[in-house]
Amino acid sequence: MAEHGGCFPPMDLFRSEPMHLVQVIIPIESARLTVSYLGDIGLIQFKDLNSEKSPFQRTYAGQIKRCAELARKLRFFKDQMSKADIKLSAKSEAKAEFNLDDLEVKLGDLEAELTEINGNNEKLQRSYNELVEYKLVLQKAGEFFKVAQSRAAAQQAEVSSEQAAEESLETPLLKDQESTTVDQGKQVKLGFLTGLVPKGRSMAFERILFRATRGNVFLRQSSVDEAVIDPSSGEKVEKNVFVVFFSGERAKSKILKICEAFGANRYPFAEDLSKQAQMIIEVSRRISELKTTIDAGLLHRANLLETIGQQYEQWSDLVRKEKSIYHTLNMLSIDVTKKCLVAEGWSPVFATQQIQDALKLATIDSKSQVGAIFQVLHTKELPPTYFRTNKFTESFQTIVDAYGVAKYQEANPGVYTVVTFPFLFAVMFGDWGHGICILLACLFLIFKEKKYSSQKLGDIMEMTFGGRYVILLMALFSIYTGLIYNEFFSVPFELFSPSAYACRDDACSEATTIGLIKTRDTYPFGVDPAWHGSRSELPFLNSLKMKMSILIGVAQMNLGIILSFFNALYFRNPVNVWFQFIPQMIFLNGLFGYLSLLIIVKWCTGSKADLYHVMIYMFLSPTDDLGENQLFANQKTVQLVLLLLSLIAVPWMLLPKPFILKAQHNSRHQGQSYTPLEGTEESLQVETAHDSHGHEEFEFSEVFVHQLIHTIEFVLGAVSNTASYLRLWALSLAHSELSTVFYEKVLLLAWGYNNVIILIIGGIVFIFATVGVLLVMETLSAFLHALRLHWVEFQNKFYEGDGYKFAPFSFALLGDEDE
Amino acid sequence: MGFLYTTLMFAAIGIIASLCARICCNKGPSANLFHLTLVITATVCCWLMWAIVYLAQMNPLIVPILSEGE
Repeated sequence: MAEHGGCFPPMDLFRSEPMHLVQVIIPIESARLTVSYLGDIGLIQFKDLNSEKSPFQRTYAGQIKRCAELARKLRFFKDQMSKADIKLSAKSEAKAEFNLDDLEVKLGDLEAELTEINGNNEKLQRSYNELVEYKLVLQKAGEFFKVAQSRAAAQQAEVSSEQAAEESLETPLLKDQESTTVDQGKQVKLGFLTGLVPKGRSMAFERILFRATRGNVFLRQSSVDEAVIDPSSGEKVEKNVFVVFFSGERAKSKILKICEAFGANRYPFAEDLSKQAQMIIEVSRRISELKTTIDAGLLHRANLLETIGQQYEQWSDLVRKEKSIYHTLNMLSIDVTKKCLVAEGWSPVFATQQIQDALKLATIDSKSQVGAIFQVLHTKELPPTYFRTNKFTESFQTIVDAYGVAKYQEANPGVYTVVTFPFLFAVMFGDWGHGICILLACLFLIFKEKKYSSQKLGDIMEMTFGGRYVILLMALFSIYTGLIYNEFFSVPFELFSPSAYACRDDACSEATTIGLIKTRDTYPFGVDPAWHGSRSELPFLNSLKMKMSILIGVAQMNLGIILSFFNALYFRNPVNVWFQFIPQMIFLNGLFGYLSLLIIVKWCTGSKADLYHVMIYMFLSPTDDLGENQLFANQKTVQLVLLLLSLIAVPWMLLPKPFILKAQHNSRHQGQSYTPLEGTEESLQVETAHDSHGHEEFEFSEVFVHQLIHTIEFVLGAVSNTASYLRLWALSLAHSELSTVFYEKVLLLAWGYNNVIILIIGGIVFIFATVGVLLVMETLSAFLHALRLHWVEFQNKFYEGDGYKFAPFSFALLGDEDE
Repeated sequence: MGFLYTTLMFAAIGIIASLCARICCNKGPSANLFHLTLVITATVCCWLMWAIVYLAQMNPLIVPILSEGE
């Protein structure tokens, strides 16, 4: 299956791990334990052998339901704990061997107890609130009556001396009620009701009472200062205490109905003063009793929740594990006659010993008579792709996988991405001041690694934390390119030697017209500091950066094509070597490699040749004389030869391959008049070869069109991709210009005023602008463009990326899925 | 002359870095090859960038023209 002819020693991460399809036959009694141990190892991806069955038809559906029920109970506990503000304690390392049945019983008991406590608590709370309200009624209503009584007494004293009846509302009524001795004749029997009504509805209450009884009631309200908890709704409401006096049974029934409609709670009130005092004492006593009971109840509940909280993590882990074990068991096909389960799955070759050990251990632990059988199946199916990454390479591999998971065992661009991605980022970002800022930020993340990796972070923080090693490399390379571009927050420094440029004469008279002159040796490391701020800075830097982009681009594209060569070698595909790799190399290097050579020659010789002119006329009129654009001897001949080779390369990569493939297909299937029968999936038959394609189709027109598209894409892409690398120039220019603007127009401007306050304000604006625009926005921008250059321009030279990722059954990975 | 000299320096730094990588994290032949690849790629990238900037300044066609008031 793995047909590789590598002449190089294997390299970590360059190709995905070799995988094989394994079949494990497990006796039923040790099935659960076996799957559990395999889940601990986490290196098998089980295939679903029961895919036609619905979830309810599967063998272990009942077990899964049990687990789901337990999970529901655990969720209920969690809810209660969060309501009571009880923290979950961290997972203890003790490996308690819990049985699922025991756990079920225990959780059931706890749930019943908790529900009971909650119910009781609610009832007690309700009584408590009612009593509190009653107490308020007693107090306030008592006040009415007391006030009225004292006035009545005063009135009585006056009535004898004064005949004028005061319009005080209380006195006549109370006089009638209280002093029956005074006026025996008019004994109007008045009833009264006391209670509480919500303050917001008190006006409406009064009005409707008045209307319903045609004004024959007397209502007195007094508001309560603080809000009370309403017994029925359990919320705090502002209420008024009311006393309503009425006469007659019909009025009474009307008032009762209205009270109910308005949600006014009524409480009995005794007229007798002594009885009132007694009631108040009684109610206060009962209130304090209830309070202690309620507190005791809450304490008990808190204790219960604490004990739950300690074991919660363990239990929920256990339930999750069990559920996943049963899901996996459902995927295995059951052979009822032979009383065993058959599992098929992909696993890496290096894990074979581990798996066999786990199987043996499970057999011993479950005390089963028969051991599990492990064997490797041969198949033509495409295995999943598995890279063994560590915490450093994982983020880079994620970047590559985001575009497409590598096909099984093709060359992984991730190996080079580890270096080239931060490097291209840095080319676009080059400023060693900014680089240092980013370095400090990500060192902070890396030092707090342990703490953050166990915490749950927000979305953005999670991405940033996950990519901390990418950012670290990006920062380091940015410092390097910053030193090369000689920009520290856009300020150049003469770090390595004095500048190579000096004035032509002592007076520096022509510095602003003709310019400086190169007196010393070339500045040894990076861009000469004399350029910054000069008028010819942009023409020079633009020319430099554009040519640099082309050179870097051609280099990376060549790397891509060479990787395709290694792929062809590995998969023993000489057609790809002779009829794809070689013409591609000739085409790309004949044109753009030649351009790179011209750039270097021009720089080395200092010639004034116009490279645009040279390249364009190489195509338009190749036989013309070059004149002053000549860079080296026999340039015309060389150009002619390269042009011819490139022209030949195009049909070379287009035409032969489809014909050769057709010939290969014919020779392969010539001897086969009988195609092998499509075997049914009798998984227990050990010798069955998994043949996913019985008869190979070969459509010549399809292959030809495919090759045509591939050729056109490469030829046109050679031009467009090379031009695409110019974004390295564009972004680096944008970065340095922004940086210059912020420095000169904010910081220097503020400095020029010689005022401390303006300086501070300018400093703050500078910091915010630098962080917001340059450190965040530009970083994201350069990140994105570097990513694009990798995904498109680099990877389309060799990467197929249509594999699927290895997703093993592993308990370690479970935790990431659920929450 | 300066070009050759510094190129040799880059090569020396590259060799030292790969030796350091081999000494610090020696984890088997395939892992070693991976680390070596990374170090070489990084060295080549850094040298390439330096070389381009250096070559561009060796024989300049334009010179800095200072702006007014400097």
